[in-house]
Amino acid sequence: MSRVTSRPEFSAQTLSVLAALSEQPSQWQHGYALAKQTGLKSGTLYPILIRLSDRGLVEACWQAEPQPGRPRRHLYRLTAGGLASATGALAASAQQQPSGRQAAAAGARDARQPSGHGVAVPVVR
Amino acid sequence: MSWLSRAGARLVPAERRDWAEAVWAEAQEVPPGWPRLAWRAGGVRLIAREGQMVCRIGTLLLFTAAAGAAAWAAWPGPASHAAMVRADIIGAVLLLAGLPLLSRWLLGPPGNRMARWLRVGCYAANLALMPTWAAIRLFLGSVPRGGHDLHTFHVFQAPGIPGTSVGDAHPKNAVWLLIITACGLAAILALTARRTRVAPATLAIGAGAGLVLGGVMFAVDPLGFDTYVTAPWLHGTMTDPVPAGRAQWLAALCWILLFGAPLAAGLLAGWRCRVPGTPGQVSAARAWQGVAAGLVSNGVGALFVTVLGTATTALLLRSARVRGLLYHGQHLTASAVYGRELFASQSVGRYLLLCLAFPVIGALMGVFGAGAVNGLASPQPDGGRPPGPPSPPGPAPLPDPPDGRLAEAGAGQDRLPGRYGDGDGEGDQSPPGLVGAGLGRLP
Repeated sequence: MSRVTSRPEFSAQTLSVLAALSEQPSQWQHGYALAKQTGLKSGTLYPILIRLSDRGLVEACWQAEPQPGRPRRHLYRLTAGGLASATGALAASAQQQPSGRQAAAAGARDARQPSGHGVAVPVVR
Repeated sequence: MSWLSRAGARLVPAERRDWAEAVWAEAQEVPPGWPRLAWRAGGVRLIAREGQMVCRIGTLLLFTAAAGAAAWAAWPGPASHAAMVRADIIGAVLLLAGLPLLSRWLLGPPGNRMARWLRVGCYAANLALMPTWAAIRLFLGSVPRGGHDLHTFHVFQAPGIPGTSVGDAHPKNAVWLLIITACGLAAILALTARRTRVAPATLAIGAGAGLVLGGVMFAVDPLGFDTYVTAPWLHGTMTDPVPAGRAQWLAALCWILLFGAPLAAGLLAGWRCRVPGTPGQVSAARAWQGVAAGLVSNGVGALFVTVLGTATTALLLRSARVRGLLYHGQHLTASAVYGRELFASQSVGRYLLLCLAFPVIGALMGVFGAGAVNGLASPQPDGGRPPGPPSPPGPAPLPDPPDGRLAEAGAGQDRLPGRYGDGDGEGDQSPPGLVGAGLGRLP
Protein backbone atom coordinates (compact mmCIF):
# COMPACT_ATOMS: atom_id res chain seq x y z
CA MET A 1 0.00 0.00 0.00
CA SER A 2 1.59 3.24 -1.05
CA ARG A 3 1.44 6.14 1.30
CA VAL A 4 0.22 9.37 -0.19
CA THR A 5 1.64 12.56 1.29
CA SER A 6 0.39 16.00 0.39
CA ARG A 7 3.01 18.31 -1.08
CA PRO A 8 3.16 21.77 0.45
CA GLU A 9 2.34 24.62 -1.88
CA PHE A 10 5.50 26.58 -1.11
CA SER A 11 8.99 25.52 -0.16
CA ALA A 12 10.58 26.73 3.06
CA GLN A 13 12.67 29.27 1.14
CA THR A 14 9.64 30.57 -0.72
CA LEU A 15 7.79 30.89 2.56
CA SER A 16 10.62 32.94 3.97
CA VAL A 17 10.46 35.28 0.95
CA LEU A 18 6.69 35.57 1.27
CA ALA A 19 7.09 36.29 4.97
CA ALA A 20 9.62 39.04 4.26
CA LEU A 21 7.44 40.59 1.59
CA SER A 22 4.32 40.40 3.71
CA GLU A 23 5.89 42.30 6.59
CA GLN A 24 5.23 45.53 4.72
CA PRO A 25 3.01 44.48 1.87
CA SER A 26 2.39 47.95 0.50
CA GLN A 27 6.09 48.87 0.37
CA TRP A 28 8.34 48.13 -2.59
CA GLN A 29 11.40 46.18 -1.52
CA HIS A 30 14.83 45.64 -3.04
CA GLY A 31 16.41 42.31 -3.79
CA TYR A 32 19.36 42.91 -1.47
CA ALA A 33 17.05 43.87 1.41
CA LEU A 34 15.05 40.69 0.86
CA ALA A 35 18.26 38.66 0.71
CA LYS A 36 19.37 40.11 4.02
CA GLN A 37 15.98 39.47 5.62
CA THR A 38 15.70 35.88 4.42
CA GLY A 39 19.36 34.92 4.44
CA LEU A 40 19.04 33.60 0.89
CA LYS A 41 21.72 34.03 -1.72
CA SER A 42 20.93 35.87 -4.94
CA GLY A 43 21.04 32.63 -6.95
CA THR A 44 18.22 31.26 -4.80
CA LEU A 45 16.25 34.42 -4.09
CA TYR A 46 15.75 35.62 -7.65
CA PRO A 47 14.44 32.33 -9.10
CA ILE A 48 11.90 32.33 -6.25
CA LEU A 49 10.87 35.89 -7.08
CA ILE A 50 10.59 34.96 -10.76
CA ARG A 51 8.27 32.01 -10.00
CA LEU A 52 6.17 34.12 -7.66
CA SER A 53 5.93 36.82 -10.31
CA ASP A 54 4.94 34.22 -12.93
CA ARG A 55 2.13 33.09 -10.65
CA GLY A 56 0.96 36.65 -10.20
CA LEU A 57 1.77 36.70 -6.49
CA VAL A 58 4.53 39.29 -6.75
CA GLU A 59 4.70 42.40 -8.89
CA ALA A 60 7.99 43.94 -9.96
CA CYS A 61 9.00 47.27 -11.39
CA TRP A 62 12.09 49.34 -11.99
CA GLN A 63 12.95 52.26 -9.73
CA ALA A 64 11.62 55.47 -11.28
CA GLU A 65 14.33 57.81 -9.98
CA PRO A 66 17.65 56.08 -9.49
CA GLN A 67 20.34 57.51 -7.25
CA PRO A 68 22.98 59.46 -9.18
CA GLY A 69 25.80 57.21 -10.32
CA ARG A 70 23.86 54.07 -9.45
CA PRO A 71 21.91 51.82 -11.78
CA ARG A 72 18.16 51.60 -11.40
CA ARG A 73 17.01 48.99 -8.91
CA HIS A 74 14.34 46.38 -9.37
CA LEU A 75 11.57 46.57 -6.79
CA TYR A 76 9.14 43.94 -5.55
CA ARG A 77 5.97 43.69 -3.53
CA LEU A 78 3.09 41.30 -3.07
CA THR A 79 -0.03 41.63 -5.16
CA ALA A 80 -3.44 41.42 -3.50
CA GLY A 81 -3.65 37.77 -4.50
CA GLY A 82 -0.09 37.24 -3.36
CA LEU A 83 -0.85 38.71 0.03
CA ALA A 84 -3.84 36.42 0.44
CA SER A 85 -1.79 33.38 -0.63
CA ALA A 86 1.08 34.37 1.63
CA THR A 87 -1.24 34.84 4.59
CA GLY A 88 -2.82 31.44 4.04
CA ALA A 89 0.45 29.66 3.43
CA LEU A 90 2.18 31.20 6.43
CA ALA A 91 -0.79 30.44 8.66
CA ALA A 92 -0.86 26.86 7.43
CA SER A 93 2.88 26.59 7.97
CA ALA A 94 2.55 27.94 11.50
CA GLN A 95 -0.18 25.40 12.27
CA GLN A 96 1.97 22.46 11.20
CA GLN A 97 3.95 22.55 14.41
CA PRO A 98 6.70 21.75 14.79
CA SER A 99 7.56 20.52 11.33
CA GLY A 100 6.33 23.51 9.38
CA ARG A 101 8.07 25.99 11.60
CA GLN A 102 11.30 24.03 11.48
CA ALA A 103 11.15 23.81 7.73
CA ALA A 104 10.55 27.52 7.39
CA ALA A 105 13.31 28.18 9.85
CA ALA A 106 15.73 25.90 8.05
CA GLY A 107 14.93 27.61 4.78
CA ALA A 108 15.29 31.05 6.20
CA ARG A 109 18.75 30.44 7.67
CA ASP A 110 18.67 33.72 9.44
CA ALA A 111 22.17 34.91 10.15
CA ARG A 112 21.08 36.26 13.50
CA GLN A 113 20.02 32.80 14.61
CA PRO A 114 22.59 30.33 13.33
CA SER A 115 20.85 27.31 14.79
CA GLY A 116 17.89 27.89 12.51
CA HIS A 117 15.36 26.94 15.19
CA GLY A 118 12.77 29.12 16.76
CA VAL A 119 12.32 31.56 13.90
CA ALA A 120 8.81 32.82 14.28
CA VAL A 121 6.77 33.25 11.15
CA PRO A 122 6.09 36.97 10.91
CA VAL A 123 2.60 38.10 11.61
CA VAL A 124 0.91 39.46 8.55
CA ARG A 125 -0.49 42.90 9.10
CA MET B 1 30.97 45.20 -15.58
CA SER B 2 27.84 46.68 -17.15
CA TRP B 3 28.73 45.31 -20.58
CA LEU B 4 29.19 41.92 -18.99
CA SER B 5 25.76 42.14 -17.40
CA ARG B 6 24.19 43.15 -20.68
CA ALA B 7 25.98 40.34 -22.49
CA GLY B 8 24.89 37.87 -19.82
CA ALA B 9 21.31 39.07 -19.97
CA ARG B 10 21.28 38.46 -23.73
CA LEU B 11 21.64 34.75 -23.02
CA VAL B 12 18.35 34.76 -21.14
CA PRO B 13 14.97 34.72 -22.91
CA ALA B 14 13.55 38.21 -23.47
CA GLU B 15 10.86 37.84 -20.80
CA ARG B 16 13.51 37.07 -18.19
CA ARG B 17 16.09 39.72 -19.07
CA ASP B 18 14.79 42.19 -16.52
CA TRP B 19 15.52 39.72 -13.77
CA ALA B 20 19.05 39.06 -14.92
CA GLU B 21 19.74 42.78 -15.15
CA ALA B 22 18.14 43.29 -11.73
CA VAL B 23 20.66 41.02 -10.04
CA TRP B 24 23.57 42.86 -11.63
CA ALA B 25 22.11 46.28 -10.78
CA GLU B 26 21.54 45.23 -7.19
CA ALA B 27 25.16 44.12 -6.89
CA GLN B 28 26.10 47.80 -6.53
CA GLU B 29 24.32 47.82 -3.16
CA VAL B 30 26.16 44.79 -1.82
CA PRO B 31 29.33 45.49 0.17
CA PRO B 32 32.41 45.12 -2.02
CA GLY B 33 34.64 42.08 -1.72
CA TRP B 34 33.45 38.54 -1.22
CA PRO B 35 29.78 39.41 -0.59
CA ARG B 36 29.52 41.26 -3.90
CA LEU B 37 31.38 38.50 -5.70
CA ALA B 38 29.01 35.93 -4.20
CA TRP B 39 26.05 38.06 -5.25
CA ARG B 40 27.33 38.22 -8.82
CA ALA B 41 27.99 34.48 -8.78
CA GLY B 42 24.32 34.08 -7.94
CA GLY B 43 23.53 36.25 -10.95
CA VAL B 44 25.60 33.99 -13.17
CA ARG B 45 23.75 31.02 -11.74
CA LEU B 46 20.44 32.72 -12.50
CA ILE B 47 21.50 33.40 -16.08
CA ALA B 48 22.66 29.80 -16.49
CA ARG B 49 19.39 28.52 -15.09
CA GLU B 50 16.99 30.82 -16.91
CA GLY B 51 18.94 30.63 -20.15
CA GLN B 52 18.88 26.82 -19.93
CA MET B 53 22.61 26.95 -20.39
CA VAL B 54 23.21 23.47 -19.03
CA CYS B 55 20.80 22.05 -21.56
CA ARG B 56 22.26 24.13 -24.38
CA ILE B 57 25.85 23.31 -23.53
CA GLY B 58 24.95 19.63 -23.15
CA THR B 59 23.28 19.61 -26.56
CA LEU B 60 26.25 21.38 -28.10
CA LEU B 61 28.71 18.93 -26.55
CA LEU B 62 26.61 15.95 -27.63
CA PHE B 63 26.37 17.23 -31.18
CA THR B 64 30.09 18.01 -31.29
CA ALA B 65 30.96 14.55 -30.05
CA ALA B 66 28.57 12.82 -32.46
CA ALA B 67 29.61 14.93 -35.45
CA GLY B 68 33.28 14.46 -34.58
CA ALA B 69 32.86 10.69 -34.32
CA ALA B 70 30.95 10.55 -37.62
CA ALA B 71 33.53 12.72 -39.39
CA TRP B 72 36.39 10.67 -37.93
CA ALA B 73 34.77 7.44 -39.10
CA ALA B 74 34.08 8.91 -42.54
CA TRP B 75 37.41 10.69 -43.03
CA PRO B 76 39.11 9.02 -46.02
CA GLY B 77 42.72 8.03 -46.46
CA PRO B 78 44.98 9.29 -49.25
CA ALA B 79 42.82 8.24 -52.21
CA SER B 80 42.72 10.31 -55.38
CA HIS B 81 39.18 11.52 -54.76
CA ALA B 82 39.51 11.80 -50.99
CA ALA B 83 39.49 15.58 -51.19
CA MET B 84 35.95 15.58 -52.51
CA VAL B 85 34.76 13.17 -49.83
CA ARG B 86 36.39 15.40 -47.22
CA ALA B 87 34.70 18.47 -48.67
CA ASP B 88 31.36 16.65 -48.45
CA ILE B 89 31.95 15.73 -44.82
CA ILE B 90 32.83 19.29 -43.92
CA GLY B 91 29.84 20.59 -45.87
CA ALA B 92 27.48 18.18 -44.11
CA VAL B 93 28.80 19.12 -40.67
CA LEU B 94 28.45 22.83 -41.47
CA LEU B 95 24.88 22.28 -42.63
CA LEU B 96 24.02 20.31 -39.51
CA ALA B 97 25.52 22.99 -37.29
CA GLY B 98 24.32 26.08 -39.15
CA LEU B 99 20.77 25.30 -40.19
CA PRO B 100 19.36 25.01 -36.65
CA LEU B 101 20.70 28.49 -35.87
CA LEU B 102 19.04 29.86 -38.98
CA SER B 103 15.82 28.02 -38.16
CA ARG B 104 15.82 29.31 -34.59
CA TRP B 105 16.30 32.84 -35.83
CA LEU B 106 13.55 32.64 -38.44
CA LEU B 107 11.01 30.26 -36.92
CA GLY B 108 11.86 29.96 -33.26
CA PRO B 109 13.02 27.04 -31.14
CA PRO B 110 11.48 23.54 -31.22
CA GLY B 111 7.83 23.75 -30.34
CA ASN B 112 7.53 20.75 -28.04
CA ARG B 113 9.17 17.58 -26.82
CA MET B 114 8.09 15.51 -29.82
CA ALA B 115 9.66 18.10 -32.11
CA ARG B 116 12.92 17.80 -30.20
CA TRP B 117 12.94 14.03 -30.47
CA LEU B 118 12.22 14.22 -34.18
CA ARG B 119 15.16 16.59 -34.63
CA VAL B 120 17.43 14.33 -32.64
CA GLY B 121 16.42 11.33 -34.76
CA CYS B 122 16.92 13.26 -37.97
CA TYR B 123 20.35 14.44 -36.86
CA ALA B 124 21.38 10.95 -35.81
CA ALA B 125 20.31 9.66 -39.22
CA ASN B 126 22.25 12.33 -41.09
CA LEU B 127 25.35 11.74 -39.00
CA ALA B 128 25.07 8.01 -39.60
CA LEU B 129 24.91 8.66 -43.33
CA MET B 130 28.29 10.41 -43.36
CA PRO B 131 30.58 7.41 -42.82
CA THR B 132 28.40 5.06 -44.84
CA TRP B 133 28.35 7.29 -47.91
CA ALA B 134 32.09 7.87 -47.61
CA ALA B 135 32.80 4.14 -47.43
CA ILE B 136 30.64 3.42 -50.46
CA ARG B 137 32.11 6.22 -52.56
CA LEU B 138 35.66 5.17 -51.76
CA PHE B 139 34.81 1.58 -52.72
CA LEU B 140 33.29 2.67 -56.03
CA GLY B 141 36.45 4.58 -56.94
CA SER B 142 38.91 1.83 -56.01
CA VAL B 143 40.14 -0.33 -58.90
CA PRO B 144 40.61 -4.03 -58.00
CA ARG B 145 44.08 -5.48 -58.29
CA GLY B 146 43.19 -8.05 -60.91
CA GLY B 147 41.18 -11.11 -61.88
CA HIS B 148 37.46 -11.17 -62.50
CA ASP B 149 36.96 -8.26 -60.14
CA LEU B 150 39.06 -6.01 -62.37
CA HIS B 151 37.12 -7.13 -65.41
CA THR B 152 33.81 -6.47 -63.65
CA PHE B 153 35.05 -3.07 -62.55
CA HIS B 154 36.04 -2.13 -66.07
CA VAL B 155 32.67 -3.21 -67.39
CA PHE B 156 30.51 -1.41 -64.82
CA GLN B 157 32.62 1.49 -63.61
CA ALA B 158 35.52 2.83 -65.67
CA PRO B 159 38.97 1.91 -66.91
CA GLY B 160 41.77 2.30 -64.40
CA ILE B 161 45.13 1.09 -63.22
CA PRO B 162 44.75 -1.98 -60.97
CA GLY B 163 45.15 -1.25 -57.29
CA THR B 164 44.68 2.51 -57.65
CA SER B 165 41.77 4.91 -57.41
CA VAL B 166 39.97 6.32 -60.42
CA GLY B 167 38.26 9.09 -58.55
CA ASP B 168 34.62 9.62 -57.79
CA ALA B 169 32.60 7.59 -60.27
CA HIS B 170 29.46 9.59 -59.58
CA PRO B 171 30.51 13.09 -58.47
CA LYS B 172 27.02 14.45 -59.05
CA ASN B 173 25.74 12.20 -56.28
CA ALA B 174 27.90 14.06 -53.79
CA VAL B 175 26.42 17.41 -54.75
CA TRP B 176 22.91 15.99 -54.75
CA LEU B 177 23.52 14.46 -51.35
CA LEU B 178 24.41 17.87 -49.92
CA ILE B 179 21.44 19.57 -51.58
CA ILE B 180 19.00 16.90 -50.41
CA THR B 181 20.50 16.93 -46.92
CA ALA B 182 20.03 20.71 -46.76
CA CYS B 183 16.43 20.53 -48.04
CA GLY B 184 15.50 17.64 -45.75
CA LEU B 185 17.03 19.29 -42.70
CA ALA B 186 15.38 22.61 -43.50
CA ALA B 187 11.99 20.90 -43.84
CA ILE B 188 12.32 19.01 -40.57
CA LEU B 189 13.61 22.07 -38.70
CA ALA B 190 10.75 24.17 -40.06
CA LEU B 191 8.07 21.60 -39.25
CA THR B 192 9.35 21.23 -35.70
CA ALA B 193 9.79 24.95 -35.03
CA ARG B 194 7.39 26.74 -32.72
CA ARG B 195 6.11 29.29 -35.19
CA THR B 196 4.95 26.72 -37.76
CA ARG B 197 2.56 25.35 -35.12
CA VAL B 198 2.57 21.70 -36.05
CA ALA B 199 0.89 19.78 -33.25
CA PRO B 200 2.99 17.17 -31.38
CA ALA B 201 0.37 14.55 -32.25
CA THR B 202 0.80 15.34 -35.96
CA LEU B 203 4.56 14.85 -35.70
CA ALA B 204 4.10 11.60 -33.78
CA ILE B 205 1.58 10.26 -36.29
CA GLY B 206 3.80 11.20 -39.22
CA ALA B 207 6.94 9.76 -37.66
CA GLY B 208 5.18 6.51 -36.78
CA ALA B 209 3.79 6.07 -40.28
CA GLY B 210 7.22 6.91 -41.73
CA LEU B 211 9.00 4.29 -39.62
CA VAL B 212 6.55 1.64 -40.84
CA LEU B 213 7.05 2.73 -44.45
CA GLY B 214 10.84 2.80 -44.10
CA GLY B 215 10.92 -0.58 -42.37
CA VAL B 216 8.94 -2.28 -45.13
CA MET B 217 11.00 -0.56 -47.81
CA PHE B 218 14.17 -1.80 -46.17
CA ALA B 219 12.82 -5.35 -46.06
CA VAL B 220 12.39 -5.16 -49.84
CA ASP B 221 15.47 -3.12 -50.82
CA PRO B 222 18.17 -3.41 -48.18
CA LEU B 223 21.04 -3.33 -50.67
CA GLY B 224 20.41 -0.31 -52.80
CA PHE B 225 17.15 0.87 -54.28
CA ASP B 226 16.43 -0.73 -57.63
CA THR B 227 13.53 -1.54 -59.91
CA TYR B 228 13.42 -5.03 -58.45
CA VAL B 229 13.84 -6.45 -55.01
CA THR B 230 17.41 -6.51 -53.69
CA ALA B 231 16.81 -8.40 -50.45
CA PRO B 232 19.00 -11.52 -50.27
CA TRP B 233 16.59 -13.10 -47.80
CA LEU B 234 13.61 -13.04 -50.17
CA HIS B 235 13.01 -15.67 -52.79
CA GLY B 236 13.67 -14.65 -56.36
CA THR B 237 15.74 -11.60 -55.63
CA MET B 238 18.95 -10.56 -57.42
CA THR B 239 18.31 -12.98 -60.26
CA ASP B 240 14.67 -12.60 -61.10
CA PRO B 241 13.44 -9.14 -62.08
CA VAL B 242 9.87 -10.18 -61.24
CA PRO B 243 9.45 -10.58 -57.49
CA ALA B 244 7.67 -13.69 -56.36
CA GLY B 245 6.16 -14.99 -53.15
CA ARG B 246 6.75 -12.85 -50.08
CA ALA B 247 8.85 -10.43 -52.11
CA GLN B 248 5.88 -9.78 -54.35
CA TRP B 249 3.63 -9.04 -51.41
CA LEU B 250 6.19 -6.87 -49.73
CA ALA B 251 6.76 -4.90 -52.92
CA ALA B 252 2.99 -4.40 -53.20
CA LEU B 253 2.88 -3.34 -49.56
CA CYS B 254 5.61 -0.77 -50.26
CA TRP B 255 3.51 0.84 -52.95
CA ILE B 256 0.44 0.79 -50.74
CA LEU B 257 2.34 2.36 -47.87
CA LEU B 258 4.01 4.94 -50.08
CA PHE B 259 0.62 6.47 -50.81
CA GLY B 260 -1.43 5.04 -47.97
CA ALA B 261 0.80 5.97 -45.00
CA PRO B 262 0.80 9.74 -45.66
CA LEU B 263 -2.88 9.60 -46.59
CA ALA B 264 -3.72 7.90 -43.30
CA ALA B 265 -1.40 10.22 -41.39
CA GLY B 266 -2.99 13.28 -43.00
CA LEU B 267 -6.45 11.93 -42.30
CA LEU B 268 -5.67 11.20 -38.69
CA ALA B 269 -3.86 14.51 -38.13
CA GLY B 270 -6.73 16.42 -39.72
CA TRP B 271 -9.29 14.43 -37.75
CA ARG B 272 -7.53 15.18 -34.47
CA CYS B 273 -7.24 18.87 -35.30
CA ARG B 274 -10.25 20.50 -33.68
CA VAL B 275 -10.03 24.23 -33.72
CA PRO B 276 -12.34 27.10 -33.08
CA GLY B 277 -12.83 29.66 -35.81
CA THR B 278 -14.52 30.22 -39.10
CA PRO B 279 -14.94 27.24 -41.48
CA GLY B 280 -12.11 28.63 -43.62
CA GLN B 281 -9.74 28.81 -40.67
CA VAL B 282 -10.69 25.33 -39.56
CA SER B 283 -10.12 23.91 -43.04
CA ALA B 284 -6.76 25.66 -43.35
CA ALA B 285 -5.66 24.38 -39.95
CA ARG B 286 -6.62 20.81 -40.86
CA ALA B 287 -4.95 21.07 -44.26
CA TRP B 288 -1.73 22.30 -42.66
CA GLN B 289 -1.72 19.48 -40.13
CA GLY B 290 -2.39 17.03 -42.98
CA VAL B 291 0.46 18.38 -45.11
CA ALA B 292 2.80 18.28 -42.14
CA ALA B 293 1.82 14.70 -41.27
CA GLY B 294 2.29 13.57 -44.88
CA LEU B 295 5.64 15.32 -45.21
CA VAL B 296 6.93 13.88 -41.96
CA SER B 297 5.60 10.44 -42.80
CA ASN B 298 7.30 10.05 -46.16
CA GLY B 299 10.33 12.13 -45.20
CA VAL B 300 11.01 9.93 -42.18
CA GLY B 301 10.30 6.82 -44.27
CA ALA B 302 12.77 7.84 -46.97
CA LEU B 303 15.42 8.82 -44.44
CA PHE B 304 14.94 5.61 -42.46
CA VAL B 305 15.31 3.30 -45.47
CA THR B 306 18.26 5.36 -46.77
CA VAL B 307 20.12 5.10 -43.49
CA LEU B 308 19.43 1.39 -43.10
CA GLY B 309 20.17 0.64 -46.76
CA THR B 310 23.42 2.56 -46.97
CA ALA B 311 24.56 1.18 -43.63
CA THR B 312 23.85 -2.40 -44.76
CA THR B 313 25.71 -1.80 -48.02
CA ALA B 314 28.67 -0.21 -46.23
CA LEU B 315 28.81 -3.14 -43.82
CA LEU B 316 28.64 -5.53 -46.77
CA LEU B 317 31.79 -3.88 -48.14
CA ARG B 318 33.66 -3.77 -44.85
CA SER B 319 32.65 -6.89 -42.96
CA ALA B 320 32.98 -10.49 -44.05
CA ARG B 321 30.71 -11.48 -41.19
CA VAL B 322 27.88 -9.30 -42.51
CA ARG B 323 28.41 -10.77 -45.97
CA GLY B 324 28.06 -14.22 -44.44
CA LEU B 325 24.84 -13.21 -42.68
CA LEU B 326 23.33 -11.60 -45.75
CA TYR B 327 24.14 -14.49 -48.08
CA HIS B 328 23.74 -17.22 -45.52
CA GLY B 329 23.82 -20.67 -47.14
CA GLN B 330 24.78 -19.35 -50.54
CA HIS B 331 28.12 -20.44 -51.95
CA LEU B 332 29.30 -17.37 -53.78
CA THR B 333 32.66 -16.99 -55.46
CA ALA B 334 34.81 -14.00 -54.63
CA SER B 335 33.97 -12.54 -58.01
CA ALA B 336 30.23 -12.95 -57.41
CA VAL B 337 30.55 -11.24 -54.04
CA TYR B 338 32.43 -8.37 -55.66
CA GLY B 339 29.75 -8.07 -58.32
CA ARG B 340 27.02 -7.83 -55.69
CA GLU B 341 28.99 -5.29 -53.69
CA LEU B 342 29.44 -3.22 -56.82
CA PHE B 343 25.77 -3.52 -57.73
CA ALA B 344 24.61 -2.58 -54.23
CA SER B 345 26.99 0.38 -54.06
CA GLN B 346 25.84 1.70 -57.41
CA SER B 347 22.17 1.33 -56.43
CA VAL B 348 22.62 3.18 -53.16
CA GLY B 349 22.67 6.50 -55.02
CA ARG B 350 19.06 5.92 -55.98
CA TYR B 351 17.98 6.28 -52.38
CA LEU B 352 18.50 9.96 -53.03
CA LEU B 353 15.56 9.81 -55.43
CA LEU B 354 13.44 8.48 -52.61
CA CYS B 355 14.48 11.33 -50.37
CA LEU B 356 13.40 13.80 -53.05
CA ALA B 357 10.22 12.16 -54.32
CA PHE B 358 8.74 10.67 -51.17
CA PRO B 359 8.15 13.93 -49.26
CA VAL B 360 6.45 15.46 -52.31
CA ILE B 361 4.12 12.45 -52.55
CA GLY B 362 3.63 12.61 -48.80
CA ALA B 363 2.62 16.27 -48.85
CA LEU B 364 0.11 15.66 -51.63
CA MET B 365 -1.41 12.62 -49.93
CA GLY B 366 -1.50 14.46 -46.61
CA VAL B 367 -3.54 17.22 -48.25
CA PHE B 368 -5.93 14.62 -49.62
CA GLY B 369 -6.25 13.04 -46.19
CA ALA B 370 -6.98 16.36 -44.49
CA GLY B 371 -9.28 17.27 -47.36
CA ALA B 372 -11.28 14.13 -46.74
CA VAL B 373 -11.73 15.20 -43.13
CA ASN B 374 -12.79 18.66 -44.28
CA GLY B 375 -15.28 17.05 -46.64
CA LEU B 376 -16.75 14.97 -43.85
CA ALA B 377 -16.78 17.96 -41.55
CA SER B 378 -18.61 20.29 -43.94
CA PRO B 379 -21.84 21.72 -42.52
CA GLN B 380 -24.47 19.04 -42.36
CA PRO B 381 -28.10 19.79 -42.89
CA ASP B 382 -29.11 17.75 -39.87
CA GLY B 383 -26.68 19.65 -37.69
CA GLY B 384 -24.56 16.56 -37.11
CA ARG B 385 -21.42 16.68 -35.07
CA PRO B 386 -18.17 17.16 -37.03
CA PRO B 387 -15.63 14.35 -36.94
CA GLY B 388 -12.98 14.27 -34.29
CA PRO B 389 -12.27 12.75 -30.92
CA PRO B 390 -15.29 12.63 -28.66
CA SER B 391 -15.49 15.81 -26.68
CA PRO B 392 -16.23 15.84 -22.98
CA PRO B 393 -19.83 16.44 -22.03
CA GLY B 394 -20.64 20.11 -21.82
CA PRO B 395 -21.93 21.86 -18.76
CA ALA B 396 -25.45 21.10 -17.68
CA PRO B 397 -27.99 23.62 -18.93
CA LEU B 398 -28.77 26.29 -16.43
CA PRO B 399 -32.26 26.10 -14.98
CA ASP B 400 -34.58 28.92 -15.85
CA PRO B 401 -34.55 31.59 -13.20
CA PRO B 402 -37.65 31.77 -11.07
CA ASP B 403 -38.58 35.19 -12.39
CA GLY B 404 -39.03 33.77 -15.86
CA ARG B 405 -36.12 35.64 -17.54
CA LEU B 406 -33.72 33.67 -19.71
CA ALA B 407 -30.28 32.99 -18.29
CA GLU B 408 -27.45 35.05 -19.70
CA ALA B 409 -25.79 33.39 -22.65
CA GLY B 410 -22.55 31.72 -21.64
CA ALA B 411 -23.17 32.17 -17.95
CA GLY B 412 -21.62 29.51 -15.82
CA GLN B 413 -19.41 28.22 -18.61
CA ASP B 414 -15.70 28.11 -18.03
CA ARG B 415 -13.42 29.76 -20.52
CA LEU B 416 -11.74 27.22 -22.74
CA PRO B 417 -7.99 27.07 -22.32
CA GLY B 418 -6.03 28.48 -25.25
CA ARG B 419 -2.72 26.76 -24.90
CA TYR B 420 -0.41 25.61 -27.63
CA GLY B 421 2.28 22.99 -27.28
CA ASP B 422 2.55 19.80 -25.33
CA GLY B 423 2.37 21.16 -21.89
CA ASP B 424 6.06 21.07 -21.17
CA GLY B 425 6.13 24.71 -20.36
CA GLU B 426 7.23 25.94 -23.73
CA GLY B 427 3.91 26.28 -25.42
CA ASP B 428 3.14 29.51 -27.20
CA GLN B 429 0.57 31.56 -25.36
CA SER B 430 -0.35 33.72 -28.32
CA PRO B 431 -3.94 33.79 -29.54
CA PRO B 432 -5.14 31.27 -32.11
CA GLY B 433 -3.69 31.83 -35.52
CA LEU B 434 -4.96 30.72 -38.89
CA VAL B 435 -3.36 27.34 -38.92
CA GLY B 436 -2.61 26.57 -35.32
CA ALA B 437 -5.70 27.66 -33.55
CA GLY B 438 -6.64 25.47 -30.66
CA LEU B 439 -3.93 22.92 -31.25
CA GLY B 440 -3.18 22.91 -27.59
CA ARG B 441 -6.32 20.95 -27.04
CA LEU B 442 -4.86 18.10 -29.00
CA PRO B 443 -3.86 15.31 -26.67
